[in-house]
Amino acid sequence: MSITVMLMQLGKGMIVTAEIFFLTLLFSLPLGLIIAFGRMAKNSVIRTLCKLYISIMRGTPLMLQLIVVYFAPFYVFGLKIPNYRFPAIIIAFALNYAAYFAEIYRSGIESMPVGQYEAAEVLGYSKGQTFFKIILPQVIKRILPPVTNETITLVKDTSLAFVLAHAEMFTLAKQIAAKETSIMPLMVAGVFYYIFNLVVASAMERIEKALNYYR
Amino acid sequence: MDERVLLTINHMSKSFDGEEVIKDISLSVKRGEVVSIIGPSGSGKSTLLRCATMLEKMDKGELIYLGEQAAWEENGKCVYASKAKMREIHSHYGLVFQNFNLFPHYSVMKNIIDAPMTVEKISKAEAVERATKLLEQLGLSDKADAYPYQLSGGQQQRVSIARALALQPKILFFDEPTSALDPELTGEVLKVIKELAKEHMTMIIVTHEMQFARELSDRIIFMEQGVIQAEGTPEEIFNSSNERVREFIGKFQA
Repeated sequence: MSITVMLMQLGKGMIVTAEIFFLTLLFSLPLGLIIAFGRMAKNSVIRTLCKLYISIMRGTPLMLQLIVVYFAPFYVFGLKIPNYRFPAIIIAFALNYAAYFAEIYRSGIESMPVGQYEAAEVLGYSKGQTFFKIILPQVIKRILPPVTNETITLVKDTSLAFVLAHAEMFTLAKQIAAKETSIMPLMVAGVFYYIFNLVVASAMERIEKALNYYR
Repeated sequence: MDERVLLTINHMSKSFDGEEVIKDISLSVKRGEVVSIIGPSGSGKSTLLRCATMLEKMDKGELIYLGEQAAWEENGKCVYASKAKMREIHSHYGLVFQNFNLFPHYSVMKNIIDAPMTVEKISKAEAVERATKLLEQLGLSDKADAYPYQLSGGQQQRVSIARALALQPKILFFDEPTSALDPELTGEVLKVIKELAKEHMTMIIVTHEMQFARELSDRIIFMEQGVIQAEGTPEEIFNSSNERVREFIGKFQA
């Protein structure tokens, strides 16, 4: 196999990897906020459930979660869902990352000085207005560094989708490596992941800089 | 009832963890009046202010703003008015905090115009017009585009006064407005408050600035251990025969 063909194939895998990456962020970032609210809820049932959820998602391997999400509908409920492989991957990733993001949101929200809430309350802002106009923008600035960390981990974690034999970059690299009995494809995949993360890190840095207009 | 009474507090009580911080306090404030609340730390004066502005819920008592009941007692418990009613009552007063509590992600201008636009739903043009006037009045015209972190403490406190005034409150509360400032910056904030007094703004001020309270107030309330120990004109308070008042004021004049 020529280098060009290999690069083309890995490039295709990279697109799938990017799909998993962006879809996971798209779903897990808002879901994480909802779970964070649940984790801080006054209602102790909701609070305990969210705590348990976070505990399980963080306490068990993502690879196991991928397998469970993919196989459970059939083995537990006898459901056969057509074309379920890719959705299963996205569901598992989103559920897992939402747990981590929830804790990051919570730390950010809880670090906000109570004076910000009180000022908004006395000025007559509703609870929703206070959160979305006053609190959340400041929370986002505070939590960017840990979010960047998680995001970079996510890029690498997408390779776990290989357990469901989905044609993302790592799965392809392994297949080519086995067929060609060469380590080259895996090395190239490594370079691709690295470049992907360089882009992610510099994008996050830009956002951080953009939010540096205030302290 | 007296039309000129803006705020009435009847029999307010408040406990934290079983410890009574406010003990059956009653007080009323008339339009244009400047009332200072003084007293040692832990006397309950800040709690009184926080209960009056409803940042803290009182345990017992009645709270009336401009003749409208904000809170009252029912079967020995304190009940607050409906949300819609509360929103209206909230618009009657403003509060200036000890630590300013400006919104750091908003410019000075945005800090001042956001609440009128969000809460009162006035147009941006109108809000900016109001804010521009206030900034001019408070000597901050050149700071409209600055962010809070770029300002001195005194400037920040003046912005927070402007932010409160932008909602055109009938009563303005101050919770130790100069306690977070060094003496040099205290003066510029006190000057602003004095100017507001000249314009007959109704104000209730918790303060440790005795001389300021004396010059400015129509009435001084001396609080200790959750009760009003003495109340009167500045002259009455500063020449009080009450042992505790004399002792407290003496400490500041030494």
